Amino acid sequence: MAKHSPVVGRYVTIDVDGYEYKVFYLRNGTGVPLVCQHTAGCHNHQWRGLLEDLEITANYDVIAYDLARHGKSDPPTNREWWKEEYLLTAEHFMNFITTFCDALELDRPIFMGSSFGGNVALQLALHHPDKFRAVIPVEAAEHAPGFFLDLWRHPHANAAQVCASGVWDLMAPQSPEMDRWQTWHYYTQGAEVFKGDLHFYSVDHDMRGQLGNIDTRRCPVIMMTGTYDYLTPPDATENTARQIPGGIYIEMEDIGHFPMSENYPLFAVYLKEALHIIENKTASSAPA
Amino acid sequence: MVMSVRDWAVRFSEASDRDQTIGAMAKYFTCTYMWDMGTAKVIVEMVDGKVYRINVDPAPMDAYDFALRASPQTWREFARPIPAPMFHGIWSASFRRDLKIEGNTLALMQNLRNFTVQFELLRKVGVPV
Repeated sequence: MAKHSPVVGRYVTIDVDGYEYKVFYLRNGTGVPLVCQHTAGCHNHQWRGLLEDLEITANYDVIAYDLARHGKSDPPTNREWWKEEYLLTAEHFMNFITTFCDALELDRPIFMGSSFGGNVALQLALHHPDKFRAVIPVEAAEHAPGFFLDLWRHPHANAAQVCASGVWDLMAPQSPEMDRWQTWHYYTQGAEVFKGDLHFYSVDHDMRGQLGNIDTRRCPVIMMTGTYDYLTPPDATENTARQIPGGIYIEMEDIGHFPMSENYPLFAVYLKEALHIIENKTASSAPA
Repeated sequence: MVMSVRDWAVRFSEASDRDQTIGAMAKYFTCTYMWDMGTAKVIVEMVDGKVYRINVDPAPMDAYDFALRASPQTWREFARPIPAPMFHGIWSASFRRDLKIEGNTLALMQNLRNFTVQFELLRKVGVPV
């Protein structure tokens, strides 16, 4: 008997700011849509544990896509993309996500992303609060400078290994070795886009002075960060959450910047807490 | 009691040379680096994945490609079996603690996979400070 996973993959073609993207996504579950964004330079396999989590998929329609140029989502099919430098912006990133959610006709999904996916979750809460039931920014902060580096794709070094080993100690040493090397393996596959992603992460994403404008009555914000994250350490996330009226911060012990990928069983404990908070908040604010 | 730098060099060489993860991709792991631990300094010379030489008493003009410099306390934290947050790697410690990475960082990047594995051997071998 073949051991098939319940997770299925599909492609959907969308137009984002004139860029045509054929987007690959993985999906499993029933209930409230939970849309998941992988980290910079990576792809949707980071969510493999969540996609097969029986308890969560019993109540949530888990959808993990590959951002354009990542994993099985190709670069734009209507542009000579190889003639321009890829530099992701907040606006294009948000437009991609909202267009993707509209294409799947999702009813106010929860959006969860890690790292640059967490930072764009904050942007979505500010700019598109009515499109999302709630956001869960994981390993995020109002500003995350310092990682937009030429070394990620220097032609004199093996960029795949530089990216993969460059993010190695973003993970906690306690996380299982197999999962850390699997995450390392994913990171060998996105070296050409990592720096362009980090243009959003470290340069274009700057929400300092704007967090007070997020309306958590329309879109609750539950932030979570691991204690081994050196890019957005716990105090950076906590400081960000504190500036959001009604913002919630959950600290995750003994885990790093790729929690869903480096140690899913531990991450799931915190994620279930976040989902429980969202259930309570959205139930109490639902129209009579 | 702190181990001598000479004893450390022997233990580190043996641990590195028999490490299977390094051995799996060792062929071009060639570079020379300094670890400046404050009260001890070493220059490790790697050739084709093996420790060719460890200079335990570097002179001022002895050459290397790149250097890692931090306080003895930070190096002791690196050597814990499970380091505390921000002492768990060269990136975390350079972003959030007192580790300085100097010299030809491109050479470091060219050897980053194996260097990272090697650095974590300190958790088993210890440090001479």
